[in-house]
Amino acid sequence: MASFLLLRLLRWTAGLFLILFVTYGMMFYGAGDPIRMMFIQGEDFDSEDEVVMLALRKKYGLDEPFLAQFGNYLNKLTQGDWGRSIRLQVDRPVLEIVKFRLPISMQLGFAATVIGAAAGIALGIIAALYHNRWLDRLIVSTVLFINGIPTFVILPMLLLLLVLQLKVINVPYGWNGLFHIDAALPVAVISIGILPIVVRQTRSAMLEVKSQLYVRTARAKGMPESRIILRHMLRPVLTPVVTTLGLIMIGLINGSLFVEYILNIPGFGLLTIEGIKKVDYPIIMAVAVVGTLIIFISNFLVDIIYPILDPRVRAQ
Amino acid sequence: MSAETATAKRSRVIDDKSLSLEYHRSLWQDAARRFRKNWLAVGGLFVVAAFLILALVGPHIAPYDFLEQNIVKAFQGPSAAHFLGTDDLGRDVFSRMLHGARTAALVAFLSTSISLVIGILVGAWSGIHGGRTDELLMWISDLIQAMPGLLLVILINTTLRRPIINWFDLLYEQTKNPFYLNTLWLDYVLVFSALALIAWPGLARLVRGQVLSINEEDYVLAARALGASQWHIMLRHVIPNALGPLVVAITASMGGAVTMEAGLSFLGIGVQPPNASWGSILEEGRRYWQIFPHLILIPAVTIGVIQVAFVFLGDGLNDALDPRRNS
Repeated sequence: MASFLLLRLLRWTAGLFLILFVTYGMMFYGAGDPIRMMFIQGEDFDSEDEVVMLALRKKYGLDEPFLAQFGNYLNKLTQGDWGRSIRLQVDRPVLEIVKFRLPISMQLGFAATVIGAAAGIALGIIAALYHNRWLDRLIVSTVLFINGIPTFVILPMLLLLLVLQLKVINVPYGWNGLFHIDAALPVAVISIGILPIVVRQTRSAMLEVKSQLYVRTARAKGMPESRIILRHMLRPVLTPVVTTLGLIMIGLINGSLFVEYILNIPGFGLLTIEGIKKVDYPIIMAVAVVGTLIIFISNFLVDIIYPILDPRVRAQ
Repeated sequence: MSAETATAKRSRVIDDKSLSLEYHRSLWQDAARRFRKNWLAVGGLFVVAAFLILALVGPHIAPYDFLEQNIVKAFQGPSAAHFLGTDDLGRDVFSRMLHGARTAALVAFLSTSISLVIGILVGAWSGIHGGRTDELLMWISDLIQAMPGLLLVILINTTLRRPIINWFDLLYEQTKNPFYLNTLWLDYVLVFSALALIAWPGLARLVRGQVLSINEEDYVLAARALGASQWHIMLRHVIPNALGPLVVAITASMGGAVTMEAGLSFLGIGVQPPNASWGSILEEGRRYWQIFPHLILIPAVTIGVIQVAFVFLGDGLNDALDPRRNS
């Protein structure tokens, strides 16, 4: 078991390293010189002064060869120095920006996961209990329907409906804390994005459990149906749902990108888009680091949690 | 079903040709029969077909040029002259939507084709040869699949733009061919290559799985005993067997590409203005949504309908092409 986890950890770490290397390489060879971009777009400086550009490049460590730059970056990264923003918020330490932006997205994501998972598990169980009846068909096709519509379509449509037609809310804008009314819409939209994943997994797990012999036994000895569901069916159903954590995280990242962009919430998703548009190396690298870490940690967590929840896996 | 009377049921059973012995249906006829019963999937097929046809003939039936501006006529609602109204620059929204359909279809078609070629080659290679290369390839595809696709596409799309532009500048200086100065289509190239780069792992896994499972079959053993080459087995046995799942995967991949392209252009990273994409039309309309809601309603509803159609079509194909299901 320990060697299995160690192997997994090794795989994910190697993956993290590879992705950082490729991203840095793409930045280095691809994204264009951010210092020259400053001058071309005329935002920060007036003239194309080679001396100034050289000095600036030196300041940000952009004058060294690729491998040296990458090595430096990794070295500093482990020491908590994520570099300084070049163009987005000039000279501000990236770690500081991330520390400000990430919690906002995490709060949104956490609330959305709780709501989406609770609703999804409930709907999945109901669908499986009414297998092939109209309620099941309704839930399955609704989920299929929702699954098709991208976030950047759902959110503007909801805005049209709720703000212009029903006039129940004002236009949510910016970030006023998770418990402010403005956070309701983003949380709802992000949780809609992860709902289909949970419903589908719960439903198929529940269908499998439903025909198990121990469930029949429980029913035969006269156990009330609610107790059968809670005591005998819920745990084997929830175990496979845990494995969708990686997919849920992808859903959260995708969702928050669009939701934060549309509603101008200063979270991590908006930071991603701003950093990309401004070709701000350190920001883009930070986005890659954090995004990859989120995915890899959640996948690794599944590797750890799954054997704890499911003794059959442990035995192998 | 329950409304059907017993007589009707009986006569249907008698009419059902499948009961007579001399009547044989192929796998595909079976699949088509199952598919036709699923009206959601049939509806999806119609919408997707209409989308592809409009993308093909769009510019010929568009009443205006999609770039033609007429500030005097800005922000008009739907009228006889402008079927879907006009946008902030007085451009005809219907013509722009038609052009956007072409963008979406082009990106979906090209990215899916590229990822299909890569996926089949990598999957077949991995499945046939195995070993270290297989492990490495599958590790990379696992990695790509674990990452959020949108994030990867954004990264690839942003970072590849500059070197390609530089490369074309260089080519222009060497050849003086004005073709290399035209960067309008560069957005398309970037978007569909980025999408292809994240879409191939799914297809590769699929093909690899098929190769591995079919290689175990007795008829493949027989073919091999008769001296068939690995390529013969690939073409005659593996690909035909994998065709069903591949068709489903291709549908999903095309739908995904349409969403991704719209999403990227919506974020201002994909197809750049003045080129029309559903995503950029939606983004442009978003500035005035409280006063002129039709400017976001039209692209949003279109993207939604096409996406749902793709999903229902894919789901229906998945059910229809799986012979183990309700045979």
